[in-house]
Amino acid sequence: MQRFEFLGRFSRNRGALVGACLILVVALMAAFASVFFPTDPLRIVGMPELWPGEDPEFPLGTDSLGRDILSMIVHGARATLLIGLFASAVATLIGVSVGAAAGYFGGWVDEIGMRVAELFQTIPNLIFVLTIVVILGSTLTNIVIAIGIVSWTPIARMTRAEFLSLRDREFVQACRSMGMSDLRIIVSEILPNALPPVIVLSSLVVAGAILFESAVSFLGLGDPNVASWGRLVGDGRQLIRSSWYICAIPGIAIMITVLCLNLVGDGLNDALNPKLRDR
Amino acid sequence: MTIKVSRRVFGAGIVATGLVGTSGTSFAQGTPRRGGTLVATWGGGEPQACYVPAGGGSSPTFSSSKLFERLALRRMDGKFEGVLAESWKPSADFKSYTVKIRRGVKFHDGKDMTVDDVVYSVTDIWKKYAVASALTDFAGIEAPDADTVVFKYNNPTPEFFFASTLCSPVAYIVPKHVYAGSDPVTNPANNAPIATGPWKFKEWVRGSHFEYVKNENYWKKDEPYLDRLIIRYVRDPAGRAAAMEAGDIHIGVFNPVAPPDIKRLTATGKFVATPKGYEEAVWSTTLECNMRNPVFAKREVRQAIFNAVNRDFIAKTVYYGYARPGTSPIYSPNKEFFTADTFKTPFDPKKAAALLDAAGFPKKADGKRFTLNLLSAGWFQENGKVGAYVKQALEDVGIGINLTVPDRPSSIKRIYTDYDFDLAISNQANPSEPVPSTTQYFTTDGILKGVPFRNASGYSNPDVDKLVASIKVETDPAKRKALVFEFQKIITQEAPLLPLVELESITLASTKVQNHSNDPNFLAASWGDLWLAS
Repeated sequence: MQRFEFLGRFSRNRGALVGACLILVVALMAAFASVFFPTDPLRIVGMPELWPGEDPEFPLGTDSLGRDILSMIVHGARATLLIGLFASAVATLIGVSVGAAAGYFGGWVDEIGMRVAELFQTIPNLIFVLTIVVILGSTLTNIVIAIGIVSWTPIARMTRAEFLSLRDREFVQACRSMGMSDLRIIVSEILPNALPPVIVLSSLVVAGAILFESAVSFLGLGDPNVASWGRLVGDGRQLIRSSWYICAIPGIAIMITVLCLNLVGDGLNDALNPKLRDR
Repeated sequence: MTIKVSRRVFGAGIVATGLVGTSGTSFAQGTPRRGGTLVATWGGGEPQACYVPAGGGSSPTFSSSKLFERLALRRMDGKFEGVLAESWKPSADFKSYTVKIRRGVKFHDGKDMTVDDVVYSVTDIWKKYAVASALTDFAGIEAPDADTVVFKYNNPTPEFFFASTLCSPVAYIVPKHVYAGSDPVTNPANNAPIATGPWKFKEWVRGSHFEYVKNENYWKKDEPYLDRLIIRYVRDPAGRAAAMEAGDIHIGVFNPVAPPDIKRLTATGKFVATPKGYEEAVWSTTLECNMRNPVFAKREVRQAIFNAVNRDFIAKTVYYGYARPGTSPIYSPNKEFFTADTFKTPFDPKKAAALLDAAGFPKKADGKRFTLNLLSAGWFQENGKVGAYVKQALEDVGIGINLTVPDRPSSIKRIYTDYDFDLAISNQANPSEPVPSTTQYFTTDGILKGVPFRNASGYSNPDVDKLVASIKVETDPAKRKALVFEFQKIITQEAPLLPLVELESITLASTKVQNHSNDPNFLAASWGDLWLAS
């Protein structure tokens, strides 16, 4: 019953519904990429720089080397979404751990956790990501880790704030007086109550991670063995005056996906935030 | 990008190449107009330092060659001409050369250039860094009087080879009073050089440009014609095209813009594009095998790598036809030493697969014979595309490939210092004289850890070393040519490093720029004679 209530509230936000549908399409594309296009998307398959529609075999045309743009977009959805989800998972894991500890224990744990978070916040994110990628090498895993490392701070602060407001509530005190361990209180009592806003924030980190990955690839530091949308934009940039579609198509894909993720984030906020219930 | 280093020596021969010579166009009309600021760029990135004593690639060669001068240069017609030297002549046994040094030349700080500076430059810079591999027989240099130096060699040295060494793009005369007693490689003057050339260093705004101003005391009367020379670095070819179109940059050497933009810009009538000015620095994109990996122990494996790659495709698609398949370590425009009679590794995936099977690398259960790390040097955007294609081509014959395209500093470090690659795509530029710029990629004495654009493959073959040693001392031109032909045959069969394609370099200039592209290595010319029409 509660679940339907949630869906009802979510779908009351039309934008979120549209966003969720489009994200579903992108996710399906990613899931079935190998079914639609069984060969390596980075294979050279045709004449270079065929415009969209010029050859029915390549509906979105080919890039400067003769690779099928449609195939790269579909396979790129997989790389792009995976990067977004895993980077968000890394950021959420770090952010919730630091935030929960800081909020629950307070004192010097709080002090250290928040100072470290501030340290990370003062470093320009993109530059930090590029530095990490240049030092560790441009592989997919390193890019995910780098994005996770720069994106955890807002989640940590949000989690800490929730914990601060929850840790002295009666139900927590009841748990304490029953002799429950700190870890159990944090994980099974406070966290479930603190989670809704964190989930909203994590969904936004996915969108941010996609943009980071695109920027890294655009600058030529992406993993050259993986077809990602940002890399496609970067490769096409040299030809922007003559074959602009090479940049434009993946650019639009990035824009739509990020926009939809933001819309979904808004919808989740409406659905999960009790204060806005029945607004 | 790269390379630069190499061109250092050039030598010999005839300069005329296929590119040149056909048209009578010259890029100068009327009398030179004085004054004005010329903004130049090139098709690569910013150098690691303004001047790198060991060469360091084309980028520092481009920036330092406007400030420093050599003893001699080679003209477009193939003749040698003195710069800081007035003349030179060999002894009867070809074991020593007497060089007359130009008098009345001052460094930018006002001090006179003397034979002491020449002696210092040769012993401490040339011999140790800049042209070390051309001076292996060098026995010392003396200055018997105030305008004469004598180069001494242990073995007979061909006259042409000697003159080529004087003309090497990084064989500069540096001020002894600035460099003596310091480590030349880390001397801070490398980033604000004091030299004798037509241009004086003013400032380096990192990430943006170098500003050079006219040397009022330049020894050559009337030069330079311009008041200021700015060398601007723009990372992106599309950005260079936009800057040129907007009139912010007047001339771009070495493929400043993407091929489609060359056509678009010249069609406006405001720009000219020319392949002239690269005759003594023919570029190529090379693929090399790291011999430290036991997979490459058999030469058939190396040959198979080249058989698997369609060089014609690279030339036509990646370079839009501004390239031709490479067949030999000596490039086809080299009329002196190029031979077509070499071991061929044509595109033939079946043969490549058969060679690999025979060498003991059959396909395993996962469809792969072995997996290699392919490093494509990221200093040219095209290299990344060549890397993507080579990856595909090798995967087609069952070789797994992990491709990386690091930025310029990381690429130089990983290829030439750490040797951290199995296959590397790099670039080199070579003059006509094969020793040492071409040969040092293959000889044992070219294996210099940390020195860019040398033998990074680790290939070491006593036969090749011996052959190169005899090329070095052979004073009979016909015999020398035969030895170089033999060198090409051995190298193409051994295949430790071969050019995938020879590049046709293009200079794009505003029609206002006069007197450009008049040197067989225009990128490394002093540019004192350039001027801007109103």
